[in-house]
Amino acid sequence: MEYFLNQLVNGLCQGAIYALMAIGYSVIVGVVGMVTFTYGEIMMIGAFSAYYIFQALGNNLPLAILAAFAGAFLIGVIVYKLCYEKFFNAPRHISLLCTIGISMLIKNLAQIVFGPETKPVLDVIENRTFTVMLGGIRLDIKLLQIVVIVLVIVLAGTLTLFFNKTKWGIALRAVSQNKDAAYLMGINVKRTALIGNCIGSGLGGIAGILLSIYYYSVSATMGGAYSMKAFAASVLGGLVDIRFSALGGLCIGIIENLGIAVSAATFRDVFAFGFLILVLLIRPQGFVSKKGVRV
Amino acid sequence: MADKHTVLKVENLSVNYGYISALEGISLHVDQGEIITLIGSNGAGKTTTLMSISGLAAKAEGTVWFKGENITKMAPDRIVKMGMCHVPEGRKIFPALSVYENLIAGSLGNPSLTKNRIQELIEEQYRLFPRLKERIGQAGGSLSGGEQQMLAISRGLMMDPDIVMLDEPSLGLAPIIVEDIFELILKIRDMGKTILLIEQNASMALSIADRGYVLENGRIIMEGKGRELLADPKVKAAYLGA
Repeated sequence: MEYFLNQLVNGLCQGAIYALMAIGYSVIVGVVGMVTFTYGEIMMIGAFSAYYIFQALGNNLPLAILAAFAGAFLIGVIVYKLCYEKFFNAPRHISLLCTIGISMLIKNLAQIVFGPETKPVLDVIENRTFTVMLGGIRLDIKLLQIVVIVLVIVLAGTLTLFFNKTKWGIALRAVSQNKDAAYLMGINVKRTALIGNCIGSGLGGIAGILLSIYYYSVSATMGGAYSMKAFAASVLGGLVDIRFSALGGLCIGIIENLGIAVSAATFRDVFAFGFLILVLLIRPQGFVSKKGVRV
Repeated sequence: MADKHTVLKVENLSVNYGYISALEGISLHVDQGEIITLIGSNGAGKTTTLMSISGLAAKAEGTVWFKGENITKMAPDRIVKMGMCHVPEGRKIFPALSVYENLIAGSLGNPSLTKNRIQELIEEQYRLFPRLKERIGQAGGSLSGGEQQMLAISRGLMMDPDIVMLDEPSLGLAPIIVEDIFELILKIRDMGKTILLIEQNASMALSIADRGYVLENGRIIMEGKGRELLADPKVKAAYLGA
């Protein structure tokens, strides 16, 4: 029982990171209107941007997070220019294939530039553990986990405010719902889509550095599985709903960690993708309620 | 080029969809403060005309002048920012945005609006459409068809435009609501806006229009004063079911 509860805490923390990944992913898909497979590489670039900040300036977490956001944001610009801008009116599979190609390119270039080996990311957050006694059950919560969860909540809250309370946010949501109508509102759709894509990428970059801190390592090939997990999580919200994507991320985190508690750690991904397949079988359109929406 | 009372002038406009030509050299002009209507049956090219004026459809040939400026090759969002409002066919409101957010989205089309002016414009919409005020927090997609049409029009008015182009505002609405919509169009004209109205409901449209154009197979086959067209035997036979 104690072990399960501790795994639940681990799952919550990892789920929070997955939630951030999924939020970024659904922002991209929502605003651009096309599925992306470069997301894992964007996260990896974010993680490496932060890694070099750690190398150069020591373990400065706020600065590293800014660097991760900025690095991923810039890669977002490149991906947008190469994979989306020319293909808004083309069949969707063209930009989809394009993102797969760019993903391979970035991954391999990264292996040349950053080196193929896994690099350690150590002691960014002080290794301290808080012990909570809950009716005779001993729960160990790491400072790292608290920092991660708080950070994800703050970022998600900021994003929600941005989307709901600012003109930029309304423009982004308008573009994600109907591009032609958005043009007729005088919105520069291409620029807005670019910015939405980059904001989503930036969030992915931050998720990348959080994963590196969580696993104490960063490598050029880290992106692949996470890209698929971000996709799996946002399937819950039909790929575009931010709240359901976050929930999906949280679910995957918890399912993975409880799953490996009853099996072995090597089966981690089985549970994540089992969840994806299950959701796709039951409700491929996602769980967003369409009630009250007449079109 | 265009004289100063002409708000919108279209010269020899042609549009092709692939190998199919949708418009073959149409010309029309809209003067300050007028209600102009463009009538025609399904597939005559009415919507295409509006889409190419506002820059959403590519033009093969021809020139469009708006307030004396050549907007033929301008991007749609920049045309909107010059003061042209296009309320698209099928309403195209943002279903997951609330009514209020839809209105704010409309105000994005005019960057010169101040916060106070936006608030005034919203009050103005409430006066025109008291129903919207009741539904201000609801998602746009949850409104009825007529309410959505009203929202689409007031979303367009939120940019305080010089010209309002309405694409089939009566489509799919109950007759009693259609009357409301046409009364509203007159009110919008009285607010000092110029109106280009596209309609299949020819009798209603011609009865409120100053001038009208009849579009058939991508060509303008007739033009004249609203009442004259209404009395024309050929128009009667083809569009008024008489």
